[in-house]
Amino acid sequence: MTPRYTELQLDALRELANIASGHAATSLSQMLGREVGLNVPRVLALPLADAVDACGSPDDDITGVVIPLEGDIAGVVLLLIEPRGAETLCRLLGVEAWSEIGESALREIGNILGTSCLNALASMTGLHLEPCPPHLTTDMLGAIVSSLALSQTASTELVLVLDSELEVANEPCSISFVLLPTAGGVTDLLTPLGLAEAA
Amino acid sequence: MGTVRMGEIEVSKRAGDELVARGLGSCIGLALIDRMSGVAGMAHVVLPESNGPAPGSDEPGKFADLAVPALIARMQKAGAVLRRVDAVMAGGARMFDLGEMDIGARNAAAVKAGLTRAGVAIRAAETGGNRGRTLRVTVGQFVVTVREAGEDPVVLFDGKSSKRFARTAARVAA
Repeated sequence: MTPRYTELQLDALRELANIASGHAATSLSQMLGREVGLNVPRVLALPLADAVDACGSPDDDITGVVIPLEGDIAGVVLLLIEPRGAETLCRLLGVEAWSEIGESALREIGNILGTSCLNALASMTGLHLEPCPPHLTTDMLGAIVSSLALSQTASTELVLVLDSELEVANEPCSISFVLLPTAGGVTDLLTPLGLAEAA
Repeated sequence: MGTVRMGEIEVSKRAGDELVARGLGSCIGLALIDRMSGVAGMAHVVLPESNGPAPGSDEPGKFADLAVPALIARMQKAGAVLRRVDAVMAGGARMFDLGEMDIGARNAAAVKAGLTRAGVAIRAAETGGNRGRTLRVTVGQFVVTVREAGEDPVVLFDGKSSKRFARTAARVAA
């Protein structure tokens, strides 16, 4: 059965994503000592192929930090950073890009952003959510997003992507912040808000 | 003609056309070629099994068990003869070790089983591992290349060359 979401549910999810990525932006700003801008999140409920295309060109190289979720809901938080953005982040943190310590710094950024996002989600919904240790890879965008989505849900009919852009002020660095919940995870996010039944 | 998106099948007999499955992770790109008839086709397979009757026909390439016969049927409709068809496949990687089942390996096994059932020879396969790939076939020359993330394309199959079996079934999933 294909899950469907109402406008009201998508609005609620967008608001959750907005607050969660706002917390992530604040954490990133503190970490870098720079202003971090945040756009209005997109909430996309799309077939998998369209969801992948919405994230970017499928065979462009991208650095992905994956933070699997543990606790009351299943899903992953994914940070997508263009290679130039990854180099910028490493420079701002004073470490060498593409080195072991550079990779570890990007993982740590993932950890901190993921945790602040999850804390925000947890306090809004009352759910218990914990991040697992991050995975880091630089690979083709389509390969990363499609494989992650498929590992979360066998359904390719409708994938929910909560996506916001974090922009580091005056630097060529933007981070795509994507929340990929499982279908059950979406219901669990909506239940505490009293919106699970609308479908 | 160009990009074959997830779940899609494309067939062409126009020389110079390219069929490309971009950013394959656990998905499989399957290229079929009949050099004599000048037909090439590609499927971008997402999952191993359809689990039941054929779902919406808008994504005939989604499930390996339906995609292989569907691609073969499209090739035949375009004039290909089954016994002359060569297959080249790539993808089926395990991008992340998140403890879940290995969809990539299951996809690769399901596509291979479908080809074997149909009696189609696999001339080259670049599957498994943990890197994303792009598979590309050029109609007319029937050159099939695979590119891994951050690398240059490598020729997997060359329809004009006698060396086309050089990489047969190399580097099959670890």
